Formats: sequence, C-alpha cells, structure tokens
Amino acid sequence: MHRYQNFQGEDMDKDSKMSEEVKSLSTDKKITSRRDFFKKTAVYSASLVATSAALSPMKAIASDDPAIINDVEWGTKLGDKVTKFRYGVPSPYEHNNVRRNDPLLSSGDEYATVTMCPIHESEGIITPNGLFFTRDHGGTAHVDPEQFRLMIHGKVKKDVVLTLQQLKRYPSVTRTYFIECPANGSTDWRAPQYNNLQFLKGMMSSAQWTGVLLKTVLEDIGLEADAVWMLAEGSDNAGNPRTIPVEKALDDAMLVWGQNGEALRPEQGYPVRLLVPGWEGNLNTKWLKRLEFSDKPWHSKEETSKYTMLQKSGKAIRYFWINEVNSVITSPCPEKPWTDLKKGDVVEIEGIAWSGHGTIKHVDITFDGGDNWVEASLKGLVLPKSWTRFSYILKWDGKPLLLSSRAVDDIDNVQPTIDQETTAVGVESVYHRNANVTWEITEKGEVHNVHIRKHHV
Amino acid sequence: MFTLENIMFKKTFIGLGLSASMLLFSGCVVDNNHGTKTAVDGGMKYEIKDGKYTSYHVNTQKIDTYNKGRIATKTEIAAWDRDTRPDGTGLPMYDMKHGKPVLDDNGEKVIAEGSVGLGNELYDAQCAMCHGDFGAGGVGGYPALSGGDIKSLSNQLQNPADEMPNQTPPAKRIGSYWPYASTLFWYIQDSMPFPHPKSLSNSETYAIAAYLLMENGIKVEGEEMDEDFVMNREQFLKIKMPNEKGFYPNVDTPEDPKKGVQNITNFLGDPKNYGTGTRCMSDCIKGEIPLLRIKNELNNFNPPVSTKRDLPDAKTAETVKAGQVEYENSCSACHGNAAIGAPVVGDKNAWAQVTAKGLDKVYHNAINGINGMPPKGGNMDLSDEDMKTIIDYMITSSK
Repeated sequence: MHRYQNFQGEDMDKDSKMSEEVKSLSTDKKITSRRDFFKKTAVYSASLVATSAALSPMKAIASDDPAIINDVEWGTKLGDKVTKFRYGVPSPYEHNNVRRNDPLLSSGDEYATVTMCPIHESEGIITPNGLFFTRDHGGTAHVDPEQFRLMIHGKVKKDVVLTLQQLKRYPSVTRTYFIECPANGSTDWRAPQYNNLQFLKGMMSSAQWTGVLLKTVLEDIGLEADAVWMLAEGSDNAGNPRTIPVEKALDDAMLVWGQNGEALRPEQGYPVRLLVPGWEGNLNTKWLKRLEFSDKPWHSKEETSKYTMLQKSGKAIRYFWINEVNSVITSPCPEKPWTDLKKGDVVEIEGIAWSGHGTIKHVDITFDGGDNWVEASLKGLVLPKSWTRFSYILKWDGKPLLLSSRAVDDIDNVQPTIDQETTAVGVESVYHRNANVTWEITEKGEVHNVHIRKHHV
Repeated sequence: MFTLENIMFKKTFIGLGLSASMLLFSGCVVDNNHGTKTAVDGGMKYEIKDGKYTSYHVNTQKIDTYNKGRIATKTEIAAWDRDTRPDGTGLPMYDMKHGKPVLDDNGEKVIAEGSVGLGNELYDAQCAMCHGDFGAGGVGGYPALSGGDIKSLSNQLQNPADEMPNQTPPAKRIGSYWPYASTLFWYIQDSMPFPHPKSLSNSETYAIAAYLLMENGIKVEGEEMDEDFVMNREQFLKIKMPNEKGFYPNVDTPEDPKKGVQNITNFLGDPKNYGTGTRCMSDCIKGEIPLLRIKNELNNFNPPVSTKRDLPDAKTAETVKAGQVEYENSCSACHGNAAIGAPVVGDKNAWAQVTAKGLDKVYHNAINGINGMPPKGGNMDLSDEDMKTIIDYMITSSK
C-alpha cells in the first residue's frame, strides 16, 4: 500500500509499494569535470552565445518546405468577420493550454477542489483570466452584482454597508500580485510523485489587480483603537471565513474588482474579493460580503483543522500567513523537454521566482543537483509579491543535468534545499513547501521531477 | 563550503556589501525599493516615497473623508454576523431567523438546544452519506471526522530526518486535532450540509455538534455524553478540546491583543523556524549527490496532458437539459461520485437496476429517501415535481 498525502492533508492510499531508492548521480570524476564546465559556462556564457552560430553552422534541407512553397488556406480566403467573437477566444490550436485537475486531490467531487494553472505554458508574469488556478470550497458562486453588499462592522467607528457602485467610487490602484495556495507542491513532502510542472506548482497564478486599498476604506470609516484582527467572509456556500491582523489590512491589502483589465471572473470571486498580497491564497476571500474587526482572532475551520502545519513535536504552526521565497524552472520542464535539442545547441533556461515576504533579489541555478551554482539574470519587471522571471542562456553539451533554481528575496531569505526544509519542519506540514525543485535532464533531453535529499528507507 | 562572500562575481559582491553596510547603520534591511523589514509577516514593508510605491506611481492627494455607503442596522448585522469564537462570542442562545430570535406560540424566544440522539438522527440523514457512519470513515474522499489519536500527531511518515521512519500518518480529526469546539459549531452552521448549507437551525447544529463530539470521546465537565444529553450554549462553553494547546505561536493574548500578532511576526521573521537556505555557490554537497527519483507516479490528469498545437476533436454542442441544473446543485455530490455508493449518473447497469423497480417506485424512493439517501437528498426546498424532473434527467443521462 502506497500512502500519499493529498493537498488537503488527508492521507490517501494507492495500491503500490513505497520503496524509494537513493541513487548516487555519478562518479566524482564526472562531477568534477562537469563542475569545470559549469564554471566556464558561468563566466563565458555571453561570449558563447555570440559564437554559437560558428560552433553549430546552419544547414540547408534537401527539399523545399511545403509550408512555404504551397499557398495556405488562411492566406487565400476571407477570415472571420471582425464581429464574430464579441468576446474573443483563444486560437482553437491552443486547446491543450487549459487548467487541469486530478480526482485524487479532491474531496471526491468537483466542487471542493482545485484546478491547476498550466504554468508550463505561462508567458511573462500575467496569467490570463481563463487560466488562473481555481480553488473552491463549495463550488463557484455566481453573485448578482446588484445584490452585492459589503458589510464592515465590529470595532469600527461606524458599522457600514456598501453597494458595489459605492465601493468602486473609492480611488483605485492597480498592482500585480501572485496568488498561491500554500498547499502548492505539497504532494512532494515525502517523495516526488508528479512528473509534471502543472501539478507540481500550478496552484498559483499572477495577475494585475484593480481595486481600492483596504487602508483607504478603513481610514474613511475609522477603526477603534483595539481593532487588532479582521475577519473576512464570502457570500458563497462555504463562506471561507479567515482572520488577518489589522496591520496587514492597513499595509497592502486590497478589495479588488478588476483582474487583468476586466471584471473578476466568477472563479476568482466576482464581483469583489479580498487581496492579501503574498499571503496564503485561502486568505484572499472570494465573493466577499463581510469584514468584522475585533481584539481577538476567530480560529475558523480553515485556520485550525486546515492551513496549520503539523511538526515533529506533534504541535502545529498556525497563522502561517506568508508564502515564502520560492522559484521553479518552467523551461525546460517535464511537459516542455529538450527532446528537440542536439548537442551544442544554445537554449534559454527560464523560470518564475516569487516571495510573499518581499521582492526577488537574486535567482541562482545549478546544473549538478545543487553542488555548484551560478547567478541567473532577472528579466522584465521586478515587483514586490509578484512573479519575477529569470533567465540563463546555456550551450548544452548533450549530457545529463540536474537542473534547479534557488531564489533570494530582499530580506535575504534564501529558498531552502529539501533537507534544509524537512530538518526544520518534518514532512507532515502539508502547507508552505518551498524547497528547491530539481529537473533531471537525460541525454535525450527528457525532463523528470527528482529530489535531491538524504532519504534512507 | 565556498560561500558567496568568496566569489568573484562583481555584481553580487557589490550588492551584498551595500545591504550589509546599511544593516550596520539603520538596524534593519533596506533595499532600493523604499522598503524596511517591518511588515507584520516579518518581511518587507514598502512606503510611498517621492510619489511612488516601489515601482508604481501613486496619487498622493490627501482626502479627509469619502463618506461612502450607509449605516448597517442591528438586524442586518445579526443576520450576517454568525461567527462563533472559543470564548463563546457569537455562540447562540436562541434559534434565529433573518437576524431575529424565533418565537414560539406564546411569543417566547425559542432556546437553541438539541440532544445527542437528535444529532445522531440528523447526522445519519444528512451527513453519513459522505462522512461515513459515526464519522469514522470519509466516503469517496470526504474527510473522516472521528477516530483520531492525539498521540499520532507526532508521527512523521518516512521523514528522511528520522532514523526510524514511522509508517502510520498523523490522524487530524475533530477530537484529536481541532483546538476549539466553537469552530465545529460555526463550520456546521455556516457550511454544512455540503450540498445545501445554512439549512440547519441553531438547535439542530447544537445536536449534530454534540453527536460528533460524543463520537470523538469528548466529555463535558468530565462526564461522557449519552443519547439524552442536551447541548446548548451553557453546556457548550464547558467543553475543553484535548488538543487546545497543540498550536503555536500563541495568539490568544487577551491582556494585550497586539501581543498575539507580535508573536507571529517574531516567528515568521525568523526563517530558521521553517527552513531556510544558504547562498552557497560551489562545492555545496559533500560526497555523492543523493538523488531520489519518482517510484509511484501520480498521473490521473483531467484532461490528459498534452502540449500539442492541433485542432480539437469536434464535439457536439452541449445544451442544458431540464433537471440538469438542479441535479448538479443538489444531487451530483453523491450521484456523481462512485465511491459514495449511490447509483452514478451515466452508469447504465446501475440505472437499469434502479428503473427495473418501475418509475413510480423510483420517484417514491427519491422523494421519501432510500438506504443512505435522505428524503429529496436532504434538500427539502425541492418540490415533488422538481424531483421527478431531476430523476428523468438522471435516467436519460444513464441510458
């Protein structure tokens, strides 16, 4: 019987045997020679790119390419009328770029479960609204915006009800933030289980959010001096009440109605959700209806029975709000391997780094499972609590690699190795797994999820 | 270990030196994005400086008041404010409806109370089909609610850091894990039963909570509960959960409410508490690279994984059929899940057996309940006619 842990922390059974083997990667000699190569690569990568054409000269093909020689259908007849799609849809050729689910990760149904964002297909730092990961606790609610009411009460100067229109009359801000379920990657606490980036790290997405800073609303209404905790509750059938400290509400938390330039999608809490930048996805209450202020925390079901991290002592960490510094290489990955490459090809290694604690400062990558590291380049906009892209251009020698990334944020927290993390918190935490993800690249260019960990069974 | 300090990367070397020297003068980490390490999560707090918040430009006009919205009424607040806390805040005295106490024939407020026996009946009718008899076993992936042992919480399944990996995982059930009974009352009342929450009265919620606490061996002032035990606010406040002290940091600091928040800030501000890396750059692993490959792959992906760029198979256009929406709202949680044991919609054989009894009998059973299924599947808002439409849809979809 293979016992594994689903993302809700339930132990599940699977008919198979659990007996992972520890294997040494290769001889010391091999590693030593590869180490030399990496050092050179790190220093000379720029000149390598410049000379790559000379190293692998282009060849002509034997016969002409029919994709060029023949006239194509879409070039020889009228296309669609511009009015065909009043709300545009992706190219039908992109039909495989979709959210996916695994029935094993649900409570037996498709209402209280998660769909994974196809981050192996993600471009830049914005997730399209139709691909943003979804996590519901009682199905996706469809709220009538005319009946939307937001109640703000408790330890405030006045108990207030706002309509959607009134809320939107507050001055808005637009910011780019990731949202990550803290169970992202949780199936790998005990051993690698998914050979797939979408299921390993797809419980997160990033978007440009528009709304009002909660601080603006709360300063308008006025808080009592002993308002220390805030409860946020949704109007859907699960409600998903969660407690956050007022300090966060007065820092960067937002009430958002816009997502990537349009209204929130129903799956993201239309018409209004709470946005708590960098913190557990579960705190970003969807279909928001109520904010209550108090001098005591609430201890809801999602902050006692779930979203708590059981430690080796038998005690559990609670109110673990932040998603820690993290990164993953998205190209290559198991779904996007290097099987089209040949020895000597130049290829960009690309990935995503993020930290709920602040802004990404560095990303390092390793080719030998973490023995030696070089610094990658950050790429594009570098914003706090947002996905940040990193890049490293490599001339691949066609030999196997153990490829991994390690992010550092601006409070100098460093993404841990698997052993560094499990030594601190054990393997039963369920949530907040941010250890290095390692891809094993084979000579054929196939990519596999592996762990670098001292694991004796 | 060859650390970053020794490495001759000009760029990173300068960056590190800069932040280290600022640390010396200001006592906190400062970056070039107007941030300090003072956020409540122990991370960076960014301020608006020169009209910018990090990389974002902002409107910094000062406005005293926006004065939006209106004052909430007491009844409105009572209708929505139904949360329940460990100190008894929000735990109801009376049955409530639309934010007001329910009155009996004499105009008296109806006390919210329910017996373990009533809870058992309600549980069997509305909960057992998913959570199993006695809460002992989740059916079809739904959580088990009882049967946990607090001693199991320190079990680590195959923890590589342990010399003797444990083969029994921790059992985080109501009695073994949940720190407060108030959470149970609140969650049942607000979010259960799963297909139609907020349908239980406060009395029924006390009854079900009492039944589940009894099944978990929870005592009230040292006394075991029996079938006749009546739970209400007064009794509920006497309950102490065995694992109340099983959580940290301490956030219940009534003498100083801000202390609880500070405890978390201190915890999250020190990454050694939850695992942190070192920025070693070379020769970081002494000896062999300990490589662990996938042995038992999970790959039940829906839809199957593909990165092909091609045209999808032509599918017949989906239209919503009569009864389909009601089926999905009220019935599919059980009839869409083979593990529950109810005839699964789409299963030709199962439904051939069901309909062999005759259609009238099928309608009758669905309306009045059969086996683990409560009358109308527990959703009494459905009329008999609604039920017939739903059943017609289920039968048609299973041919």
